[in-house]
Amino acid sequence: MITAGIDMGYESVKIVLLKDGAVVGRAKGESGGAGREAAARKAWEEGLRNAGIAEGDVNRVVATGSGKYNVEFADDQITEGLSALKAIRFLCPDATAVIDAGADETLVATVKGERIGEMAVNQKCAAGLGAFLSYMARRLELTLDEMSGLGRPGADSPAVNDGCVVFAELEALSLLNQGASPEEVAAAVTEIAAVRASSVVNDITVPAWNRVALVGGLTKNTAFVNALKVHAGMDFVIPGEAEYAGAVGAALFAAEQRK
Amino acid sequence: MKGQLWETKPLECWQKAKELRAKWQKSIESKEKVVGQGNTGFTADWQVAFPAITVIEDNPAGAMIASQSDSYARTCRLACEIRGWGREICGYHGNCWGAQFLGYQIDGSPFPNRSFVVPFPCVCDSHIKRGEQVRDFSPVPRWSADFTMYLGERDPQREEAMIEHRNYCTLKEINDIERIFGQKFDDEKLIELIRASDVIKQYREDVTMFMTYKPTPLSVKDLYSFYTLGGLTKLDPEETVNFWKMLRDEVEWRAKNQIAAVGTERYRWMEAHPPSWHYLKYYRYMEQEYGAVCIGSQYTHFGSSQLERKPDGSVGDRDYPVYSTQMPLETREDEMRFLTGPDARAPHHFKIDEYTRPYALNEFADIFQVDGALFGLWRGGVGCTLTRKEQAMKLRDAGYSVLMYEGTQPGDRNDLDELRFLNQLDSWMESQDMRKLDK
Repeated sequence: MITAGIDMGYESVKIVLLKDGAVVGRAKGESGGAGREAAARKAWEEGLRNAGIAEGDVNRVVATGSGKYNVEFADDQITEGLSALKAIRFLCPDATAVIDAGADETLVATVKGERIGEMAVNQKCAAGLGAFLSYMARRLELTLDEMSGLGRPGADSPAVNDGCVVFAELEALSLLNQGASPEEVAAAVTEIAAVRASSVVNDITVPAWNRVALVGGLTKNTAFVNALKVHAGMDFVIPGEAEYAGAVGAALFAAEQRK
Repeated sequence: MKGQLWETKPLECWQKAKELRAKWQKSIESKEKVVGQGNTGFTADWQVAFPAITVIEDNPAGAMIASQSDSYARTCRLACEIRGWGREICGYHGNCWGAQFLGYQIDGSPFPNRSFVVPFPCVCDSHIKRGEQVRDFSPVPRWSADFTMYLGERDPQREEAMIEHRNYCTLKEINDIERIFGQKFDDEKLIELIRASDVIKQYREDVTMFMTYKPTPLSVKDLYSFYTLGGLTKLDPEETVNFWKMLRDEVEWRAKNQIAAVGTERYRWMEAHPPSWHYLKYYRYMEQEYGAVCIGSQYTHFGSSQLERKPDGSVGDRDYPVYSTQMPLETREDEMRFLTGPDARAPHHFKIDEYTRPYALNEFADIFQVDGALFGLWRGGVGCTLTRKEQAMKLRDAGYSVLMYEGTQPGDRNDLDELRFLNQLDSWMESQDMRKLDK
């Protein structure tokens, strides 16, 4: 049986194809903003090519992510919490909690057997999101890889506020004008992103921190991950396919539906 | 209907409720009366014994503004901001004060400036400010009604002193209003209302009790529609009593014959706060998408009774000190004492219950047979969310699923991110293995 999961996020779309419980293909592309349907189709075709599978051979397609309803060829949709749970049960079966840090959402869920125990998502603040870091990278004329390689700011390093990303950006630009380097400002921005993301972790009232898996696009940002470890006060496991976890979860769900 | 589990039908008393609601609205629009601002109470309140005084409470007024027009509500709140009030003040007050600053109401008619103020006594400091603002706006008299509350074990001496203090304050307000506005306080009218309110309260308690049944014969969305009818008591006690009798009987019949408010009821959830009055769609969304019905909150039901699980497992009204409904009301002091009640901590108040009883919501969840709880956190204003997280922890300990969400406070749409909120509801439902109903 072949199933597919599509994680249509704010910045990128990820495709995963599963055959009999194993990942046989994946693809990633830009999510396309207002043109999400076309972006999903493009990534979908690439994923099929990568897997060497014809579209007609795919038994079921399930979409997740903030743009899940924009994937017109999906048979069903599931929410991000459920796809994270399914993924983590597959990628890291002994995990007791999962943090999904993406461009448009930070989600934390505890694992209770095959179900979600408790779940929290970021509220109305974009400061802890990947979209904020991507945006600031562009403003600071740094690549995401350069941002990822930065160290944590020292005690006397510049800092920006974590209450509003627009004001954080203005503050960052002011710091640049006062002579701070783009790298120093980027480190400060990454720090507040981690602080905000850790507030979601702290929102979980029933601790289940024995073994925490971190997934989502921000797993690729080492500076963010290191800062989050400090502010959340815990270490993480970053499983293989972490960036594709949402799509993996959706594909697994599709397989369950077909049984 | 796909997914239908229970028989359902519209309420037969619905049309009558709409007629009464329209009648009440017309009554408060009378231009012949002195308009005061304060607590209108759910049924009886002493202000009603002044026949030529209308008291408007800015909670329902602000909620109505928010519900009727986003555009007008925004204009009102902007008017407030221009005067220096922060955006974090209660949305109700932002709406009401803004309308006052603008000088006109939502229909363009002149804003009915208040002639006096009796601030609503409440632990929420924003409620106390309401009187401050109205008095600052124009030099009208203001009386402060103190809020009596303390934590810990009951203290009879303290209780008595608090109650007598409140009674003294009220008696002084009555004397002052008689003197300033030249109106005679009608003690007989108040006694009539007290008696009528007692009857209505029993009917409301019955309705609350029937909402513990599965399926619930009324959803909270329905109940809110009858909420303001308590205010009608002041206008026509007999008609209001008759209506609540009609409602109670119909709800009893529905409960005992399993006539559901929501035919697809397969999940029951509770709240702990007033809803976002400008965005009540989430009740319908949960019903239509998931067959998930809200059975209310302590806020919804505190006006009638607080239920408790008795030692024998049955459910009944919580034991707390009450005056006998047959208590003689021979003097104005008697009337005031009866209105205040023998418990200074006002155990019916939903917020106090959360302060004084750590497991208050657990008991509520148990009695109403809920599956989960949806708790909003506001940036400020109505239904202050202090203790809410602690209550959520205790509910989770007891096995209930709780979604905390950063909501949009009840009178202020500015914080509403509709799609995000609905997505959170979807995630919450899916986290409990609830998928959308087939259409």
